[in-house]
Amino acid sequence: MNSFTDWLPTLMIFLPLAGSLLLLVTPKTFRDEVAGFIAALTLGAGLAIWRGGGSELFRWDWIPPLGITYSVQLGGVSLALALVTAFMSFIAILYAARRIPNPGPMLSLILAMETGLIGIFAAQDLMLFYVFFEDALIPALLMLAIYGKSGRMAALTKFAAYTLFGSLLMLVSIIGVRYIGGSPTFAMTDLKQNLVQGSAQTWLYLGFLAAMAVKLPLWPMHAWLPDFHEQNHDSGIPDVMGTLYKVGGYGIFTFAIPLFPDASLELRPVLMGLAAFTALYAAWIAFGQTDWKRLLAYAGLSHMGFVALGVFSLNETAVIGAMYLLAFQNLYTGALFLAVGMLQERIGSLDTRVGGVMTQAGALGGLTMALWFASIAVPGMAGFIGEFSILLGAYQVFPWLAFIAGITTIAAAAYALTAFQHTFWQARPAGAVRVPDLVHTEWLILTLPLAVAVLFGVYSAPALNLMQPAVRAVLTALGGN
Amino acid sequence: MLQPPEVTLTPLLPVLIVLAGALSSTLLGFWVSRRTLTFINLGATLLSALSLGTLWNRGVSSFGGSLQADNAALLLAFVILTGTLMTLLVTLDTAWRARVSFPEFDAMLMYAVTGCMLIAFSGDLIVMLIGLEIMSLSSYVLATLQGSRRAEESGLKYFLLGAAGSAVLIYGIAFVYGATGSLNYAAIAAKASVLTPENTGILVGGALLLLCGFAFKVALAPFHQWTPDVYGGAPTSVSLFLSTVVKVAAFAGMLRVFGGALNGAPGWHSVLQVLIAATLIIGNLAALRQMNFKRMLAYSAVAHTGFLAMALLGTPQTGGAALTYYLLVYTLMTAAALAIVAALQRGEEGMNILDLRGLYYRHPAYAVALAVCLASLAGLPPFAGFFGKYLVFQAAFQNGYEWLSVLAALTSVAALVYYLRPAMLMFMPDRTPAREYGLGQRTPTTLTVALGVVGVTALGLLPNIWYSWVANPAIWTLLVGR
Repeated sequence: MNSFTDWLPTLMIFLPLAGSLLLLVTPKTFRDEVAGFIAALTLGAGLAIWRGGGSELFRWDWIPPLGITYSVQLGGVSLALALVTAFMSFIAILYAARRIPNPGPMLSLILAMETGLIGIFAAQDLMLFYVFFEDALIPALLMLAIYGKSGRMAALTKFAAYTLFGSLLMLVSIIGVRYIGGSPTFAMTDLKQNLVQGSAQTWLYLGFLAAMAVKLPLWPMHAWLPDFHEQNHDSGIPDVMGTLYKVGGYGIFTFAIPLFPDASLELRPVLMGLAAFTALYAAWIAFGQTDWKRLLAYAGLSHMGFVALGVFSLNETAVIGAMYLLAFQNLYTGALFLAVGMLQERIGSLDTRVGGVMTQAGALGGLTMALWFASIAVPGMAGFIGEFSILLGAYQVFPWLAFIAGITTIAAAAYALTAFQHTFWQARPAGAVRVPDLVHTEWLILTLPLAVAVLFGVYSAPALNLMQPAVRAVLTALGGN
Repeated sequence: MLQPPEVTLTPLLPVLIVLAGALSSTLLGFWVSRRTLTFINLGATLLSALSLGTLWNRGVSSFGGSLQADNAALLLAFVILTGTLMTLLVTLDTAWRARVSFPEFDAMLMYAVTGCMLIAFSGDLIVMLIGLEIMSLSSYVLATLQGSRRAEESGLKYFLLGAAGSAVLIYGIAFVYGATGSLNYAAIAAKASVLTPENTGILVGGALLLLCGFAFKVALAPFHQWTPDVYGGAPTSVSLFLSTVVKVAAFAGMLRVFGGALNGAPGWHSVLQVLIAATLIIGNLAALRQMNFKRMLAYSAVAHTGFLAMALLGTPQTGGAALTYYLLVYTLMTAAALAIVAALQRGEEGMNILDLRGLYYRHPAYAVALAVCLASLAGLPPFAGFFGKYLVFQAAFQNGYEWLSVLAALTSVAALVYYLRPAMLMFMPDRTPAREYGLGQRTPTTLTVALGVVGVTALGLLPNIWYSWVANPAIWTLLVGR
């Protein structure tokens, strides 16, 4: 085993944090470059791991008396998600450096949050996962506190209360998983050999689910989401990070299914029902929104309903689809948030009923539309592969629920295209300000995610090959279901 | 010819050094300034902490086991001395502003610490009681010393309720003696398992009375009512002392008595879990409504009492380790937070939470430090408060108190809301003029804050640097003595 490749995941996790601290002492003139360089380096580390076919499990006893280990591994699904995270963080930094007047704190926070997020995906120890899970929260809260709008305190409290309500219950569950199961440590390899049996498993699964349902988010734990996005800074950068923070689907996939196999099967109908309902309900609410950010928030919620449907169905095709969707919706939803930020910068409002932007800012309109196509799962885009696989898999489990969720795709087209039409087509109001088109890096910021979304929509094999073995490995825990 | 009794003074060393500091403050106060005395006391505190190291793993005892310098005592004493050090540093800056800058203040402080140390070193109920009374009487004076109406009111309240608490405690000691015929922890523990039914009843009564008495001292609901008034009314440096050092000592006593002597006794577990549940709910919900930051910290201290007491429900091995770890972390973060309040407040009543708005842009270092303390108090990783919380959850969970762990998790949500509100306000941009005392940022206070922040961060990233000392189960099985 090569010792350097062992250290690569750790490097990828902590490089952004080091960069974040470095920014505090960097002179103002070089801040953007340093932040961008660190983000690019992190992405590079991720690509190096990918090229090496994923990393081996790295384990170090962090706190031996408590049985807490530092176990990290980036491979399969976790590597895909970490790569998307690194990519979108890079894009966010690129945009923040140009858009925000004094971007120092924002750049620091983006990098600090990146560490938390990649840590979440890399962690193979439940306590370590919890630590990163909470760590990613602090920069998100600070972004909202420093850059938010007037109603941020209420939004912040709501966000924090929901998130922590879930994660503290998860903490109790984590303690229970180890002690009732009798595992020597919190490392996944040990926990899997000492599974909890019987009704205790169901209770612990519910505690774990509390945290994941908030993060997914799953109805009725979603109420924090629209306010969080609405009150964040107009540029959409915190929203990108917020989009990346929807790690609930991943948590259930990596930790809950292997640790609570019987409970997952037992609760499958209820959870799939909730997921399908969330997808449809969110699409319905999104239809009525006139604020771009709220619209995107509900659209994201609807996609997350899909992800949940796929994960909870425990079907191989659907789970792969869910992970695929989870990874790539970060890409296009994030880019859409940034596009909305650009729109806001030009017309000074987030309202959808503006009209006529397309005539003056054709590139912005065109790229936004292309990203929306990715979002509503037009074939040829990455979203399609995800959503189609989920529906295909879910249909094999509960055809009716798949049908209900399937309606969402139609609803998605309806809300997305209506809002797009109101803003970009229709007549330009008389006396409205002139809207400049995309300049400089803005081109890169929108085209890069779009290019990736198209690439993996057309040529999905590399991503699927990465994810499939990991999904198979997890699902064998269910006894070949 | 008068024969002096044979007494080994070695185990007494840490206590004697602190006592020497107290006595020198009493006497030298006529000739030197208070600042000089504070420096002498700082020296005594450090020296006492060093002397703890010389006693490590020797398990010496004195007065026939009434006073024990076992590892448990040394660890608890270390926490007490850490809190004392931080208090003394803060008083260097703020005592003058708080109008308590006279030698008696230092003398009282060090007497109180002597009492605290005695509790940690106690091997029987009498030594524990003597320590507790020395500590309490000095604390009453400290709370009243300022000579303002608020301080007098809080001191009187503290005194009356504290005296009632002590009375209940002494009554409890009498019951325990009546049931077991001994005051020594080891003897009580040995007898508790082989009692006749009548005596068991008396023992249960005694244990419950002791529990009430201690509940007063550590502020477990419903015996907590004095806390917000006293912590809020006393000068901030005194609040700091009361909410850290005094509370640690009271918990040390509880650990000795309930974790050791009465651990096998029936009855008190079920009452304690009800008290903890009430404390968690009342403390957290009441803190949610406070707009005065200092009062909020007082209520948060009550809420933390609930968490700390959960450790007593664990087995002595897990609970003792969890409690001692948490106590150090709690001392570091609470002391640092209150030190910042002491430095930035305009008057001794503390500051309004809304006044913290934009603090980051006026005092960046203090704001970041306060945010770290609040995050740690809230139990967010990677700060040490998280591991403290985790350890007590685990101790209670493992011993079969799952429902209490879940309740603690749920009430923590309220805690996170009230800790996050000021923490986030500090980072919100603000253009109104500053509402804090401009000249409060001084070296000794900054040193305290730095100690706290570095402490909670280091203990959070590498909990083992403290936990490996306390983790050895053998320390806690010997709680009762040999």
